[in-house]
Amino acid sequence: MIETITLDNLLPEVFAGAENQPPVSTSGVWMRQLELRRGRRVLVAAESGTGKSSMCSYIYGARSDYRGRILFDGTDIRTLTPARWCELRRRSLAWLPQEMRLFPELSVIDNILIKNRLTDRYSEPELRAMLARLEIDNKASSLAGHLSVGQQQRVALVRALAQPFDFIILDEPVSHLDARNNAACAALVQEVASAQGAAIIATSVGNHLQLSNSMTISL
Amino acid sequence: MSNKPKSPVGRLLRRNISAAQLAAYALANFAGLAIVLCAMQFYRDVNSAFDSASDSFINRDFLVISPEISSLGTLTGGQAAFTPEAVADLESQPWARRVGAFTNAGFRVSASVDFGARGMQTFLFFESIPDEFFDVRPPGWSFDPKKGEIPIIVSKDYLALYNFGFASTRGLPQLSENVINKVPLRITLAGNGRIETFSGRIAGFSSRFNTIAVPQRFMDWANSRFGENDTPSYPSRLILEVDNPGSPEVTGYLASHGYEVAGDKTDSSRASYFLSVVSGIIIAVGGVITLLAFVILLLSLSLLLQKNRRKLTDLMLLGYSPAQAARGYLSIIMWINAAVLACVLATVTLASSWWENRLESASVGVAPLWPTLLCGFIALAAITLLGYIRIRHTLRRYFRP
Repeated sequence: MIETITLDNLLPEVFAGAENQPPVSTSGVWMRQLELRRGRRVLVAAESGTGKSSMCSYIYGARSDYRGRILFDGTDIRTLTPARWCELRRRSLAWLPQEMRLFPELSVIDNILIKNRLTDRYSEPELRAMLARLEIDNKASSLAGHLSVGQQQRVALVRALAQPFDFIILDEPVSHLDARNNAACAALVQEVASAQGAAIIATSVGNHLQLSNSMTISL
Repeated sequence: MSNKPKSPVGRLLRRNISAAQLAAYALANFAGLAIVLCAMQFYRDVNSAFDSASDSFINRDFLVISPEISSLGTLTGGQAAFTPEAVADLESQPWARRVGAFTNAGFRVSASVDFGARGMQTFLFFESIPDEFFDVRPPGWSFDPKKGEIPIIVSKDYLALYNFGFASTRGLPQLSENVINKVPLRITLAGNGRIETFSGRIAGFSSRFNTIAVPQRFMDWANSRFGENDTPSYPSRLILEVDNPGSPEVTGYLASHGYEVAGDKTDSSRASYFLSVVSGIIIAVGGVITLLAFVILLLSLSLLLQKNRRKLTDLMLLGYSPAQAARGYLSIIMWINAAVLACVLATVTLASSWWENRLESASVGVAPLWPTLLCGFIALAAITLLGYIRIRHTLRRYFRP
């Protein structure tokens, strides 16, 4: 279990040398000491090109081109072994990347099952019920590659939820969704996260995930 | 219902697999291993045939040599023998493991045998070689002066000569080896002013060892008791233990020094040497084909992993370990290799039974098949393991952010 994620003087390599200029100088994240606690809801609002997807990838261990440190309960994540990362990605950290990374050649339900089978968190009917809440249960057997971007976002969201987690990192989860679908997604995420006392970290360039009681950080 | 793999991971990773590449690997691996294992089994079978066809108590790596007897020597009465320098030179050859000297009897020997009312007496000669040159000693291959019984090993040729050349024309009974073993002999030794009679028995027969041999212990004792002054001090025959009797180094050395090899030892050894060279070449060719097949497998795997790199990385980002992601590909290699193994083992078994039937009909033993089959299993297990290690290594590389 992870209680706290600390971003300690974090700076993408690409911003090195530009510490005193925007967006770094105006950022609430870069070159700061930031603590993200379990159970909180954080909205990271930013303009394009400020590094929000980078931040999500850094925390999830998908990229390491940064300076400074990221600590999980005081442990520098650069020291984590592949086995530990696997364990964290199954039980502590959920991630919805901006580009979604669905497998286009697999069906919607297979894309979700491929994640769910690692922990058997939910039964298939429960997963289909989540799809139904997001109004895409009729697409369960369709190939993911045949869906619209908005539909893919909802599939990727259900996949991200199909595991136990302490933190769920959602990188622009509703950028292609209308307000009604946005609300449905936000309700589902908050319900699942609250049930396990998990934190939600969502990024956005404009269309914010409609979280209640969230803290907003400007990147 | 479709018959797709049950796991979505399997369905995902089986894409981009080139059936043609894997078939090429399987075919090449099958051909290479079948060649290697057939050549191995054939070599072992024929070697075993050489062994079983050669002398029962003397190893086929032994050569009995004597100096060539020249016409001049015959006229002058000079003894053809090995000088200590010649023996030392032989011992210094890299291919010579051991050199032993035949000891001649320095006394006169005669033997007599009774067939009912008819008797037969003949002059004989004895030779001995050091006991350690015998692979298997016949029971009672020793001599105790108190008991006074002399065990003798006789060339099979002598028995054949007696049975078919002598007994049949003189109306004497023909004798089998078993009967001869039970016939009591009276051996009379004379020399050094003494004449004494001992009992003797034929302890065994040799088909390659062309002499009448007695234990070294007896010879030493008898030479000291009956030996006369003109006992030859240099041996006229030597027994050599060599690495490979048919190798060019050995035959070349013996020819250049004018040494003659007794029996057909070098012929079979030459055949054996030729066989080992040919088998070696065939095994090497098969080995190269197997190696190339392995390279094909590694290249196919690298290509497959490269094509599926994004999917593999995504799987590991979902929480799959490199080992779990590798498992799908391991099962493919295992199934292919299991099929190759089954085909190779069947081929080797069928092929070897074909030639083994022919060898066995010639009453020669063949080598057991299982060590060869085990080698095939080990080779494919090693290929599977190396392939798996390669996949794991690549996936671990993909894992690192």
